[in-house]
Amino acid sequence: MTFDLRLIPLLPFIGAVVLMLFGRKWTRDTVFIVAALAIGAACIVSLDAYFLALPDAGEGGLTDVVMTWIATGDLHIDLAFRLDALSGVMCLVITFIGFLIHVFAAGYMADDPDYARFFAYLNLFCGAMLVLVLGDSLPVLFIGWEGVGLCSYLLIGFWYSSTANADAGKKAFITNRIGDFGFLLGMFLLFQYTGSLSVPEIASAKGPLMQTLWMGQPVAFWAALFLFVGAAGKSAQIPLYVWLPDAMAGPTPVSALIHAATMVTAGVYMIARMHAVYLLAPAAMAIVALVGALTAVFAAMIGFAQNDFKKVLAYSTVSQLGFMFAGVGTANFDAGIFHLVTHAFFKAGLFLCAGSVMHAMSGSGDITIMGGLRKKLPITHGVFWVCWLAICGIPIFSGFFSKDAIIAGAWATETFGHDLAWVGKVVAVMLMLAALGTAFYMSRLYFLVFSGDETRADDHIKHHIHESPPIMTFPLVVLAAGAALVGLLGLPAGLWDHPDQNLLYHHLEPVLGAELEVSHNIEIIFMVVSTLLAAGGIGLAAVFYRGGYKEPARAFGAQFPGFLRLVQDKFRVDELYDAVIIRPLKAFARGIFTFVDRIIVDKILVEGTGVIVDVFARIARTVQGGDGQRYMAVFAVGVALLVHFATQPTLPFTKLKVTQTGRAVEVDARRGKTASSRSLDYLFDFGDGRPVIKGQGAEQRHDYDRPGTYTIHVTVEDPRWGTTDTFKEKVEVR
Amino acid sequence: MNPANATAAATYSPPVGDIILFAIMAAWVVGFALVTITRRNPVTAVMSLVATFFGLAAIYAALSAHFLAVVQVLVYAGAIMVLFIFVVMILNREEVAPLALRPMRLLGVVAAAYLFFVFWKVVSQGVATDVAPPVVPETFGTVASIGDLLFREFLYPFEAISLLLLVAIVGGVVVSRSHQKEVAALRAADYRKQVEQLASADYPGKQEEPSASAGGHH
Amino acid sequence: MAIPAEYYLILSFALFLIGTAGVLLRRNALIVLMGIELQLNGGNLALLAFSHQLGDQKGHVFAFLVIALAAAEAAVGLAILVGLFRSRQTINLDEASMMKR
Repeated sequence: MTFDLRLIPLLPFIGAVVLMLFGRKWTRDTVFIVAALAIGAACIVSLDAYFLALPDAGEGGLTDVVMTWIATGDLHIDLAFRLDALSGVMCLVITFIGFLIHVFAAGYMADDPDYARFFAYLNLFCGAMLVLVLGDSLPVLFIGWEGVGLCSYLLIGFWYSSTANADAGKKAFITNRIGDFGFLLGMFLLFQYTGSLSVPEIASAKGPLMQTLWMGQPVAFWAALFLFVGAAGKSAQIPLYVWLPDAMAGPTPVSALIHAATMVTAGVYMIARMHAVYLLAPAAMAIVALVGALTAVFAAMIGFAQNDFKKVLAYSTVSQLGFMFAGVGTANFDAGIFHLVTHAFFKAGLFLCAGSVMHAMSGSGDITIMGGLRKKLPITHGVFWVCWLAICGIPIFSGFFSKDAIIAGAWATETFGHDLAWVGKVVAVMLMLAALGTAFYMSRLYFLVFSGDETRADDHIKHHIHESPPIMTFPLVVLAAGAALVGLLGLPAGLWDHPDQNLLYHHLEPVLGAELEVSHNIEIIFMVVSTLLAAGGIGLAAVFYRGGYKEPARAFGAQFPGFLRLVQDKFRVDELYDAVIIRPLKAFARGIFTFVDRIIVDKILVEGTGVIVDVFARIARTVQGGDGQRYMAVFAVGVALLVHFATQPTLPFTKLKVTQTGRAVEVDARRGKTASSRSLDYLFDFGDGRPVIKGQGAEQRHDYDRPGTYTIHVTVEDPRWGTTDTFKEKVEVR
Repeated sequence: MNPANATAAATYSPPVGDIILFAIMAAWVVGFALVTITRRNPVTAVMSLVATFFGLAAIYAALSAHFLAVVQVLVYAGAIMVLFIFVVMILNREEVAPLALRPMRLLGVVAAAYLFFVFWKVVSQGVATDVAPPVVPETFGTVASIGDLLFREFLYPFEAISLLLLVAIVGGVVVSRSHQKEVAALRAADYRKQVEQLASADYPGKQEEPSASAGGHH
Repeated sequence: MAIPAEYYLILSFALFLIGTAGVLLRRNALIVLMGIELQLNGGNLALLAFSHQLGDQKGHVFAFLVIALAAAEAAVGLAILVGLFRSRQTINLDEASMMKR
């Protein structure tokens, strides 16, 4: 069924363009209204589409074909959008949370001189993200994919006058690009073997996809793997996660929207979208799941020792994304998406709280100087409290249900065959460790920032601590409400039999297939275990940090100083990349620059061309000596040549054609000018004493009486000028 | 010579006296021409050119071009050469090495010589040599008959040529005019302009003067 | 005289050739001008030879005009030469030429 889906990304794009052109001249209020209106309208259209139109849509959901984009040979791609349950959910998340963040940013960025540019970029980002989720085929998705990468770069480096910010933006873009390369390879493979880039067509081409390609693995495996590389870049998984912590250099609303709720989830969405391909390659799914789980644990560990508010949240995001990938990797696509939704709410809430706190702390995000903010920032504290419990996985709050769905689903997954059956269990265990870690570091963050009575900062900061204005607290509250309640959308089936339970899963079922049937008992066990883990983590953190840096924390730090420093340095992954990849690349680039650019291009090609031209010019210049009499001499030579060739009977390089048969010889003196209408006189002397033959045409035949060597002379004369040419030819007669 | 023609008819050969006369005149002309172009001293060259022209006048007379023979002497040897002599007297310089035997130029001369060679061949070919040259009437080439042609058929070129001579006179005068007065006038104008500029121009450190002082400068 | 025309023609070309040699090979501008006069005379001789051969006096008229033209050209050329001498103090064509070698 068709629907004007194009409006959904179009409205924010128009907002972006309008703001870029005119925003600087408008007042801040006007700018905000335009931007918020754009995204708000997109939200309304999404709501309309999802709740009012989609139910009647039937199979395939709502579609909107804008135009034929590429039509060459085998490749036919339309610029088309599709809204089904999956993309609908994503749309709602993006537009709704996007709207809330626009509102927050109006307050947060109120003093920033580049207000209009910020909102223009924000709108642009929302438009691109919507294109990504609504895209009907992989190329359209890729447009959005690239678009959000670009906006991420623009927004991370928003305050570009600082080199560090610009570098962070570059790092994000370049790391993304590496992932995009993998994405492209995946697309190429899929097109090569299925002849199409549209998702449903690829999904139905099971035969071609199962052909063995390399190393005994089918096409589907390699395509899935390459696509996962792209997802790893966009969604910050090992090894391409390094850009996300640096991306915190951007304004906090950006971190909330892009690096928590939306852009980083694009990878998860993409894998869910391509689930048909992934299901054909369990090995690839195993890799996805394991990498996700490993990232979850690894990032959680780094989060233990970070001292910047946003950095903790950044590593938390990486970790939670790992959860999502583990979910989709174990064929629990619906669980992964569920966690995506809940994470969007509570992570955005957490980031906006960070913004609120930093706003209060005069821009500082250093948690070592915070503390006791519970009383001074009550609303912020309340929101953070809710989101904190959500992310830790305390029951009733949303994170509990989604995290649990993933862990239980990983344990009970049936998608791996006999050889890989262990993957699910290993993943589940790792995720539980990660959940423990999550609880620990988030609680550490909470306690160090909000608990206690005293703020550890200097006086001049302390005096400025104040709660944020309503324009900033309103979105916070809404997000907290979401973080608390969204979980109810996905109550696990095994728990009780209520018709409304697992609403989300049922909605997603047409797209993602039936949910995994986890047995009731397993469900309960995991719920209990997760709760215990969460409580344990919180408790441990309380011991270490409640009210400030307590004795156990210091003791631990003293015991393992080396390990502590390693964790604080993020396990020195960035340094590793720098040494192994970046430095060799730079050296290589410098080498190429010196050799190819300086020598080959500049010296040989550019200067060389000049030198060659110069040499020829010098030679040519000798013709023009600047000497008038010399010119006359050349003139005379030219005239002489002309006259010569005009009066000669035959052209230069004319040769006699002599054909010999036995004792007979045929001589043909026709060549060159004789083809013209002029008649020339020929004189043949065959050199055997016989009288010469003349005036009888250009061809003569002659029989020799005796064998021997004879010289034939042929004289051609032009009767008009009297000029002659003589030819000699020796002939042997046997 | 085309052998075919040779066998066809007998070649005409002119009377011996005529040949000798022609040879003397030809040698005179060619000889003095060669002298002209090879002398270091331009005066000698001019003199020998005059001699060449006299010889040519004789040849013209032999060709029944009576009027032109006289014109040759009067105008060429008389007027043009006098001009040359005047200039030579003014600019008399001897050359160090008369001939500039540069390769390209020599090549040009060689090319011209080759042309001469081809010309010889062609000429020998073209004109019929088995008959005596036609005899021209008595009035051929006389002043009266040429005058008749000049003032009837060729009146327009005649008037044009006189205009050309006028142009030449004017051109000669203009080209050789002395420019001293002009140069001096230009220099005076330049000087006056400079003075005005300095009087009115702004320069650093200039004080506002109540009265305009021409030529004041630092 | 009853000499065939081609003798005169060859003589005329010889004169032209000598004149060309003078024009090409001399440095003194005056001599070069004299070479030009020789060339013109060569042409005149050819005209008159043909005129005699064909019995047509148009050649005479042509030659007459050529002589007048040569006079004009000599006058102007010499004037230029005098001017050249005044500004360059030399009539040696190699020294006086401003065109780069």
